[in-house]
Amino acid sequence: MKRTLFLFSAAAAVVAMVSFSSCRKDPLKDMTNEESRIYITNHDSTANFTSYSTFSIVDSVAVLTLASDSAKKALTDYDKKLIASVTAAMQQRGYTLVNKAAKPDLAVNLTRIDNSYTNISWNPGWWGGGGYWDPGYWGYPGGGWYWPSYYTVYRVNEKQVAIDLFDLKNPKGDKLTAVWNALWRGSGVWTTGNVDSMVQASFAQSAYLSKK
Amino acid sequence: MKKIRNWILIFAGCFTAQAVSAQVRPPLSVDINYSIAQPLGSLKDYTDKTSFRGWSAGLQYMLNDQWSVGLRSGFQDFYQKLPRAVYPDKQGDVSAVQSRTLQVIPIQATVSYAFTKPGSVVIPYATVGVGTANMNYEKYWGEFVEKNNSWQFLVSPEIGINVPFGKASPVMFNANVRYNYAPYKYADITNFNTVQGNIGVKFHLN
Repeated sequence: MKRTLFLFSAAAAVVAMVSFSSCRKDPLKDMTNEESRIYITNHDSTANFTSYSTFSIVDSVAVLTLASDSAKKALTDYDKKLIASVTAAMQQRGYTLVNKAAKPDLAVNLTRIDNSYTNISWNPGWWGGGGYWDPGYWGYPGGGWYWPSYYTVYRVNEKQVAIDLFDLKNPKGDKLTAVWNALWRGSGVWTTGNVDSMVQASFAQSAYLSKK
Repeated sequence: MKKIRNWILIFAGCFTAQAVSAQVRPPLSVDINYSIAQPLGSLKDYTDKTSFRGWSAGLQYMLNDQWSVGLRSGFQDFYQKLPRAVYPDKQGDVSAVQSRTLQVIPIQATVSYAFTKPGSVVIPYATVGVGTANMNYEKYWGEFVEKNNSWQFLVSPEIGINVPFGKASPVMFNANVRYNYAPYKYADITNFNTVQGNIGVKFHLN
């Protein structure tokens, strides 16, 4: 009887400990929204960023959702803030903002992506079609985007924001080459109050992106 | 076949040995310990925080006054959060707060040798555990996780003491220091090295 009791209590202790093991420290519970975000930047290592002088930025933000392959354009408070913040950062790096009719050297495209409910490979080529910023906007009707091979695919299943810089100075035929790209992922990337710090972080980790 | 016969002979020998030895306490025991572990070597580069989240538990069978064999398991959770930094990657530069975690669940067979007789006030001993460990690697980039789970060979030499609560008491206080080594290679980790301190109790079962 005593032995059974002993074995029983030992077994209970083991069970208690095994369940205790699931009480590992959970990184997601020890994380602020700011800490949850990652900023990925990528660039064309052959591009000479001092060779560009002027840039122009889109007048609204393309919003990609799962619901359709085509993007709709939006100009919410968030989008206005994003346009202003990226413009300011580009100017700080020595580039001059001009109207797109004035033949800028660099084109800045802004895109919000909402893939919250599925896994779609984030392949820049995927949105090269209909809905994404049409190269026609930049004076290349019927043209396309050229993504050099260094752009690799990230899997996404959440809200993101992408900033893409294209070379308008040296088009490849009717294709525009991406020279810099920033992608924001994580909690709060669609929150207006976070825009400035996210833009600053993305530029800070891309020291090469400068006219000076 | 011959191998099986040899094993049977070994076991028979063990039981005989146990039967002839003077018994101070019953041969079967259970031990439960709280564990603290400090990473060493390349594991320290991955996560250098001491882990206070761990335990170890086992069963032991005394073959005679000196030798025992057993089986044990446990758990240890390593965790470290690094401030935001930019990590150059083949896919570009990634700015992230990294949370580096590793959960280890060992399953080992043990052989122990006691340096004094079971009637002593303090029983120092040495143990070697050999077996496997489940390594659950989770490195968070912000809220995005990079995962890997694998089983690795794990060897753990240990020295410790058992202090019976009174002469011939079936309950003993246990304290030990264990070194764990696994030839575990994944990303930043080139091998798994920890030194682990355990305190707990050991019951001999009637």
